[in-house]
Amino acid sequence: MTFRDLVILAAGNLWRMKLRTTLTISGVLIAITAFVAMVSFGAGNQAYVEKQFNKLGLFSTMQVFVEKKGQETDSAPAPKLDAAALERLSAIPGVNLVYPYDAMMVKVRLGDSVVSTKAQALPAAAVRTKLFSGLVAGIAFSGDSSRQAIVSDDLLHRAGITRPDSAVGMSIIVSVRVSTLDSALAHVLTDRGVSLFDRAKKVHVDSLLHAPYRSKVLRSEAGEVVRRFFTGFTDAQATISDTLTVCGVRQEGRMGRLRIEDVIMPVASAKRFKATGFGGSPIEIITAMSNGSIFGSTDEGESRTYSQVTLDFDPKVLYTTIRDSVEKMGFKTFSFAAEFAEIQRVFVYLDLALGVVGLIALLTASLGIANTMIMSINERRREIGVLKSLGADESDIRYLFLVESGAIGVLGTLGGILAGWTITRIVSAIAQRYMKGEGIPPIDLFALPVWLVLIALAFGIGVSLLAGFYPAARAARIDPVAALRND
Amino acid sequence: MEPYLQTVSLCRYYRRGPHEVKALDNVSVAVNKGEYLALLGSSGSGKTTLLNLLAGLDTPTSGTVALEGSPLTGMSRRELSAYRARKVGMIFQSFNLISHYTALQNVEAALLFNGTPPAERRRASAAMLESLGLADRMTHRPGDLSGGEQQRVAVARAVVKRPEILFADEPTGNLDYDNSRSIAGLLQSLNAGGLTVVLVTHNHEMAQEYAHRTVRMQYGRVTGTDLAGATGGAL
Ligand SMILES: Nc1ncnc2c1ncn2[C@@H]1O[C@H](COP(=O)(O)OP(=O)(O)OP(=O)(O)O)[C@@H](O)[C@H]1O
Ligand SMILES: [Mg+2]
Repeated sequence: MTFRDLVILAAGNLWRMKLRTTLTISGVLIAITAFVAMVSFGAGNQAYVEKQFNKLGLFSTMQVFVEKKGQETDSAPAPKLDAAALERLSAIPGVNLVYPYDAMMVKVRLGDSVVSTKAQALPAAAVRTKLFSGLVAGIAFSGDSSRQAIVSDDLLHRAGITRPDSAVGMSIIVSVRVSTLDSALAHVLTDRGVSLFDRAKKVHVDSLLHAPYRSKVLRSEAGEVVRRFFTGFTDAQATISDTLTVCGVRQEGRMGRLRIEDVIMPVASAKRFKATGFGGSPIEIITAMSNGSIFGSTDEGESRTYSQVTLDFDPKVLYTTIRDSVEKMGFKTFSFAAEFAEIQRVFVYLDLALGVVGLIALLTASLGIANTMIMSINERRREIGVLKSLGADESDIRYLFLVESGAIGVLGTLGGILAGWTITRIVSAIAQRYMKGEGIPPIDLFALPVWLVLIALAFGIGVSLLAGFYPAARAARIDPVAALRND
Repeated sequence: MEPYLQTVSLCRYYRRGPHEVKALDNVSVAVNKGEYLALLGSSGSGKTTLLNLLAGLDTPTSGTVALEGSPLTGMSRRELSAYRARKVGMIFQSFNLISHYTALQNVEAALLFNGTPPAERRRASAAMLESLGLADRMTHRPGDLSGGEQQRVAVARAVVKRPEILFADEPTGNLDYDNSRSIAGLLQSLNAGGLTVVLVTHNHEMAQEYAHRTVRMQYGRVTGTDLAGATGGAL
């Protein structure tokens, strides 16, 4: 007997018992509908979170930082996140971009308000990664030395600016209180937003040809420079200011260990603010001057270290391989991919909880199948006896009954998946209309991923087959002699 | 020559509470190839029980049934199924047609288990029903057929696979004279074509007229054997 024969026989029998078959299939259908609709809800939310993560490129971003003191193992002292380390990190296969977290306390003048906040320097390439792609207004800055800045909407809010797009193009004056020699040096260049360039513009270039004028200008400018240098030198708490233009506004949001500050500046523009942290005392400066480290410290030298570095890597590369390479160097890592694995666990529990409800319904439906099949056996004793007398093996009879319960499972499951999908579409449409009405961006609460379809099929058909096992075994064991005796 | 089927000291007892029914008690008979054997005995003498044992449908309490020398009792279930599927045709005392199958489907079922391709099953079954005068009854269900028609469907089902041996349990028991004659004639012609026939009947004349040999049974025992019949003599 071929499978085709089994299917034809089973179909004939199920067709003959239309009402009973329909009711039994309905049981499976309802259970699978519930299962699909509920797990689809879990899957929909999961997909939404995943999409958000993906949009921000969080799966291809990793934070690298130095192990905190006290957690260090005695054998291997924690390595420093310095220029050499950055070099090695960018050499890891799959890493596209490495940029340090480089922040400072700043005062920002925006419009009429002055706000205290933090600013950070980022290379233009980093700003172009997905992570910073979600600007609410404007665009990212064009290059590392462009005199532009990206600000957060929260900063705008604090500065009393309500519309993000109105901020684009505004001047932003960033001031840093520095306490180092470079404050003195920087002072030569800028003073409270008045740059040397601006001063130079006031000089009549043509008049410089006249010696007296030239010497007067040089004298006054040199005097100004010297004055400024010493002002900065002696007053270690001097302020450096720079005027930038707001080019973009990003939405505020700090995510895990990923720190994004209110003001993002191009690297070169931020350089002039760099302070390596001498205390206010002139003795420190003089010490630094005498051992020669004073100029090294103002510079992007080998000695500069960072607390945190961001890696942007190829999304096709598994985060674990990158993580392993980075951790082998002795650094700690934080990645949203790892975090997402955690979140996913939560979703697995949610899906399980929702799925269990559907499975309970399925279990109930399976009792219906078993009942139908057992009733069927009792009515078909003669048929089974005849088939056995005609040469049917016990296995043939068993398969016949299994195919029947399996067919109930297949029909119920397919119908259930379809019904479940239809219901989620309807509910989703209603929910989205409601969200729109409330002004919330409409999201799809449900998803029907392939794995859910496959699990539903496996469960629906599997449970139906299981329910058919006992009746099938019973049918196979029927004694043909007794079944054929005329009574 | 070795008999096609042979039983030695075959017993089949049924236990019903304190009672033991000896449906078959120490029966030793042989069925030769090509033979037309009649089993004659009153009701309850164990004729149907013997047929079921010969067909491998039932297992003996003791004793053996041998098919061309090899005991059925030593065969696996699967081998017994294959024996019935390929070599045995059975006509039951009551028609035992499957009520929800059509006449054609009932006949086709006999070819489900011997590897006949579906198209051939249909063709052979239809041809067999046609040859029995049931060409316009193929899509009828047994409930819509007369007794004689049902019996002819049962005969068609038994012989469509071209078995080596046919067990016919009172095939004419419920039929009128004309129908009985036509079934009996059909069996005889099949036997003439080489089919071994074991016919169970209460009917002396029928046994006398067609069988090569008649085995008489009473209370589960063989009480005698007659070499008789129209063609006379055993092989
Ligand atoms: N399952 C059973 N349980 C108990 N007794 C049984 C069973 N099957 C048959 N018998 C008994 O075995 C004996 C032989 O029965 P069997 O059916 O072989 O008789 P038979 O010769 O075919 O009779 P008939 O001509 O009426 O068909 C009978 O007495 C019957 O009651
Ligand atoms: Mg009988």
